[in-house]
Amino acid sequence: MNAKNIFKLCVIGSLGMATLGLTLMVSALPAAAHGERSQEPFLRMRTAQWYDTRWNPQKTNVNDEAMLSGKIHISEDWPRAVVKPNRTFINVGSPSSVFTRLSSKVNGTPMMTSGPMEIGGDYEYVIKLRGRLPGHHHIHPMLAVNGAGPIAGPGGWMDIVGNYKDFTNPVKLLVGGTIDTETAGLTAGLFWHVVWGTLGFLWIAWFSIRPMFLIRARVLAQEGGDALLNDPVDRVVAFGMLGVTFTLIAIGFFYTDSQYPYTIPLQAGEPKIKSTHLKSDLTVKVLAADYDVPGRALRMTLQVTNSGEQPLSIGEFTTAGIRFLNKVGVANNMDPTYPPEIMATDGLHIEDESPINPGETREVKLDSRDSLWEIQRLMDLVHDPDQRFGGLIMAWDEAGNRHINSIAGNIIPVFTRATAG
Amino acid sequence: MALFRTAEIIKASKLPPEGVRLSRMIDAVYFLPIAYLGVFATFHMHFDLLAGDWDFWIDWKDRQFWVTVTPIVEVMYPGAIMYYFWTFYRQPFGATLSITGLLVGKWITIVFAWYWWANFPANFVMPASMVSSALILDATLLLTRSWMLTAIFGVWAFAMMFNPTQYAIFGYSHQPVVIDGQLMSLADYMGFTFVRTGTPEYIRIIEVGSLRTFGGHTVWISAFFSAFVSMLVFTIWWQIGHFVGQSFFWVKGKRGVMSRMNDTMIVGTDEFAQRHGTPDGIAPGARVAARTAATTIS
Repeated sequence: MNAKNIFKLCVIGSLGMATLGLTLMVSALPAAAHGERSQEPFLRMRTAQWYDTRWNPQKTNVNDEAMLSGKIHISEDWPRAVVKPNRTFINVGSPSSVFTRLSSKVNGTPMMTSGPMEIGGDYEYVIKLRGRLPGHHHIHPMLAVNGAGPIAGPGGWMDIVGNYKDFTNPVKLLVGGTIDTETAGLTAGLFWHVVWGTLGFLWIAWFSIRPMFLIRARVLAQEGGDALLNDPVDRVVAFGMLGVTFTLIAIGFFYTDSQYPYTIPLQAGEPKIKSTHLKSDLTVKVLAADYDVPGRALRMTLQVTNSGEQPLSIGEFTTAGIRFLNKVGVANNMDPTYPPEIMATDGLHIEDESPINPGETREVKLDSRDSLWEIQRLMDLVHDPDQRFGGLIMAWDEAGNRHINSIAGNIIPVFTRATAG
Repeated sequence: MALFRTAEIIKASKLPPEGVRLSRMIDAVYFLPIAYLGVFATFHMHFDLLAGDWDFWIDWKDRQFWVTVTPIVEVMYPGAIMYYFWTFYRQPFGATLSITGLLVGKWITIVFAWYWWANFPANFVMPASMVSSALILDATLLLTRSWMLTAIFGVWAFAMMFNPTQYAIFGYSHQPVVIDGQLMSLADYMGFTFVRTGTPEYIRIIEVGSLRTFGGHTVWISAFFSAFVSMLVFTIWWQIGHFVGQSFFWVKGKRGVMSRMNDTMIVGTDEFAQRHGTPDGIAPGARVAARTAATTIS
């Protein structure tokens, strides 16, 4: 090796070390969300209206059960750009299977497979989970809509503590006995993969212990080469391999069949889930709405009629899983475990805060103002091809009964402070 | 008496001992890093793009689509690779090489991507093994020495043996369980219990209740259909192997005319040198003789 080569190696080595050093300098923090903010606002505000979401408990041991529950209202103003919810599935958005899902019920009906949902319908879901992978995890309910993709609900943090090695997920079989989904069939699967893999490699090895390519190609190009390469011992081995293969297939098949005499095919039915509907004594009509871009506020003018017998006070506006509350909302619907990063407890302002009396029709100016509009990237509404908004208005009577209305309407952006007033 | 005809074959190749040694070095370099790794990397990608989900997830392994799609996709590469190894070297391991290669790639993915990175248990993402089918295919080619008979009998068995082979690996997953009053197979439940954000249940392409005419024998009807399509696909890919596996030289003759030389084995031989000359004007045989003499003297 001469000096020039040594110099070259030194340069290459230095570049390698420099690359490695730069790599170590780059901070690679773990991703802590599922990109829900990147979904378009019109998609998040006008498809599934999530409310009453609960992550319970927020700390779970490995193998212990937890619950993800809540309600969704399927918006009446479902966007034109999104496929209608004819085939939907309430999923869990988590970083891999940190929990296993034990059961999922929607309006009391098990939802193991996907099914249709009704536009304007209301659905209460309860998903039972079991802690599997220790860590601090961001968990969302998700509405998967065939053709439209998953629509993320609000994300909350759940901790799992313990050791993954202790995890088991036993399931009772209909024919008796219990099986662990974590390890079921693993030994048999590995066994057969090893058996077939070994036979495959032996077959290749049988031909690779002799000259493989160049020599055979030269012989094949000659007259009589084909016959010479047709080695009788290979034919014997081929017959033997065929015999062994068919025999092993038969043994595997019939042994397994005798082990599991009762089997069923994959199930592909769909649940028929009856929807419920929001109940409210209020009738709410959106007269006008604008989005104050510099002020980070959604301002609505609503015509509200109370057709009930109790005075009602508006206390919450929720959209895209983000909650804007005033004092009424805080007093009646404050869940201390709800993630604070998606809740503005002083984010709802009403010009006239007095209750709406029975029989009264009032024009209500509602202002949901908070930096969350920007942080949660709902201000991107101004860039959407569909300039409409949606959400749920919640009101309470003095007894604490809740009245929920789904609203939707056109929205006009206000770009500058000069015109924002 | 020798087990193999190796000595006769080497003699017939008319290569000197150093040529034989060199050929074995070429075997090692060409076979392992190039042929094997190249095949497993590209075949793995090809297979995962066309039939990946059926092979990844246990709750996709149904009686209709999995049984139909997997052999059809898995016979493609073996068709082309078998053409190449058989036509040029009479080596009957093209299918086994392709499919063991595919499985090496798959198990790397299972261990590093699915188990280590994404934390799914290995049984949930275990692939099918078609090595048995590949062995049948290769042995059929060796015994019949005919790609047509291999396509008819070998490929038929290749597809038909898919389900019985996999049943030993995945049979357990069809045991019935009852969850919240719902009857499910264990595979369905595993698909439900292991949360996958990006793959909700409805994405599965599985049997939803067709093929009613055949009295529930869905799996065998699917296997027959798969076998027929696999025969066609094997033939097409054998021809693709023929198309991309052609080897020829453009040779400049004594009168300066370029012509296509399909017999690539003749290049470098004395016969070739006599007919076409060599760049340095020395016949290869004379060059080898001179080198041997020099080695002997030293």
